[in-house]
Amino acid sequence: MTPGWIIAVIAAAGLASGGALMAWPRSTWPLLGVLGVLFACLSVRGHKSSRFAIALALLLFFIPAAGTENTFLFELVTQMGIFAAMALGLNIVVGMAGLLDLGYAAFFAIGAYTWAIFGSGQAAEFMSGSFPLAGWPYFYLFSALAIITAALTGTLIGLPALRLRGDYLAIVTLGLGQVVRVLANNLDQPVNITNGPQGITPIERPPIGWLLGFMRFIGLGDNPALGYAIFFYLLVLAVIGIVVLVNVRLDRSRFGRAWVAIREDEIAARASGISLTRTKLQAFATGAAFSGVMGAIFSAKQLFVSPESFTLLQSITILAMVILGGMGSIRGALVGAMAVTLLNIEVLKSFSDFLVDLRQSGYVLDLGIVSFNFANLSDQVEPAKYERMIFGIILILMMIFRPSGLIPESRHRLEAGSEKKDGMTG
Amino acid sequence: MAILDVQNLTKRFGGLVAVNEVSFGVEAGQIFSLIGPNGAGKTTLFNVLTGVYRPEGGRVLYKGKRLSGLPPERIAHRGVARTFQNIRLFGAMTVYENVLVGQHPSIRYNYLDAIFRTFRYFRAEKKARVRAHELLEYLGLNDRAFELARNLPYGAQRRLEIARALALRPSLLLLDEPAAGMNPQETDEVKHLIRRLRDDLHITVVLIEHHMKVVMEISDRVVVLDHGRKIAEGRPADVRKVPAVIEAYLGKGALEMIA
Repeated sequence: MTPGWIIAVIAAAGLASGGALMAWPRSTWPLLGVLGVLFACLSVRGHKSSRFAIALALLLFFIPAAGTENTFLFELVTQMGIFAAMALGLNIVVGMAGLLDLGYAAFFAIGAYTWAIFGSGQAAEFMSGSFPLAGWPYFYLFSALAIITAALTGTLIGLPALRLRGDYLAIVTLGLGQVVRVLANNLDQPVNITNGPQGITPIERPPIGWLLGFMRFIGLGDNPALGYAIFFYLLVLAVIGIVVLVNVRLDRSRFGRAWVAIREDEIAARASGISLTRTKLQAFATGAAFSGVMGAIFSAKQLFVSPESFTLLQSITILAMVILGGMGSIRGALVGAMAVTLLNIEVLKSFSDFLVDLRQSGYVLDLGIVSFNFANLSDQVEPAKYERMIFGIILILMMIFRPSGLIPESRHRLEAGSEKKDGMTG
Repeated sequence: MAILDVQNLTKRFGGLVAVNEVSFGVEAGQIFSLIGPNGAGKTTLFNVLTGVYRPEGGRVLYKGKRLSGLPPERIAHRGVARTFQNIRLFGAMTVYENVLVGQHPSIRYNYLDAIFRTFRYFRAEKKARVRAHELLEYLGLNDRAFELARNLPYGAQRRLEIARALALRPSLLLLDEPAAGMNPQETDEVKHLIRRLRDDLHITVVLIEHHMKVVMEISDRVVVLDHGRKIAEGRPADVRKVPAVIEAYLGKGALEMIA
């Protein structure tokens, strides 16, 4: 249990960084502060309701308040949420059940295409009826449907793949993941289902009249771009909430225990009456479902899907989130998704901006013997060019110094202090 | 009636015949020991009985129904539990969770019950938790319930394996060297434990053991395996006098040397 004063410090830090973010919505430091406080809320133990209240205050008041000035904040946190759902799903498969899946982005693609095809004119290419399906219930209906289609695909891919173990499973899932992408790329003939490499656009978004009405009411005007930014932000938060709840509940049921048991020892698990195939398929389908629902939301948010969004790199990025956060740890998956997304779309971008500024300043660093004109700074140091390398270095350092991740899996264990080391035997 | 009936069981690995035409019957309520030198095929026989391996010949009947050919989880559902020679716990799970996993077949609720935390979920989980604590109490592990299984000392790990096996509510329990690596006092405790399993819980126990003291003192019946074949069967006192058994343990010519 963390002492109370630490919670008080976190609350104060939350208030300070939240306030700072509202005052300077475009500045990086307050944002990092807010995310740091969220990270702290996830990593300390005990004081559940206080931590929850702090996180909620940041997510539902400070960030939205600052976000109305700088929509990028909504974009960032929404992106984090989408990745967090995927990391949570993959965490079930890789972290809990111990099945290395390198084709995980496929389920995201299935979810995305589920809504993209019917939420655009695309469906009219191969079936009769009036498309796109606009109007409020359709998007939510298809998001729910995406859960089912992704889970079914998970089961289908799982059936042949799960006879294999370890590296062999990784290779086969990698291949099957590519199959989904290649299908999306080529199913424009003979019947045009996915519109091939051009992708599908525009994709319908659900109507948000109610939200715009509310925004007018509180004096934010009715700019639909801002409205949708807020809408997807809130939607993703809600879905993440549900996903975490479902994940925690499964974790503390016979299903979660069976997943971890087969990871730990397949033979002992079977001797305890656990069916390997059924348990692995459940893990696969559950993980896929989390990803599928976010796929549908992603396609509506982006207005566009194409096979290029679902590459192997995507699968590996999500895997990196799970490993960075801590395999098998729900809070770890959330933190990993936050950290990697932040690194990808905020930190490297800021660093890149900083380098551009430096170059344009033409500042000359004069150390007497050597002098360097920053205008000559090579554009090879652009972070965009070695983003993956930074990624790799971070992962390697993590594996060396903290191999079980930022927030390691903890199986509801007593605190270290109460563990006895009396060498009892017999 | 025999609770376990092994008939002409054969298991081959390539050219090696690990279990060769072995037959025996275990009566309900017996403590039944399998002994034999290293490599005699005892553990292989256990693995065939519990479905880890499929036999090439013969069959296994449990309570009159065929067991051989079923996968391990089906055999566990039938009420046959086991422990392992090289301890196989779920190391990253707590002691308590290990026992909960052991109850998997008897915890009955579905996926949606778990997500929506229905009445059925709470009822089944509560029952399982109460039983887990009872079992840990029985094996003297309750004060370590929330430690990770891999952090337990060796003897406690062995007892936890037995607790997990008991969680299955077995009527037949296969113990693979439960006293291996234990000091005399611990060995004595294991001996008493096995008796209690039979007397309190009415479990039939089949035992692989190298500690002859344990085998001789608690077994009702002993089968001796050597090179995959059954070379003797009978009451412990009788089996130790069989020349083939002495030879198997001490080598050819041992009889003459003793004489």
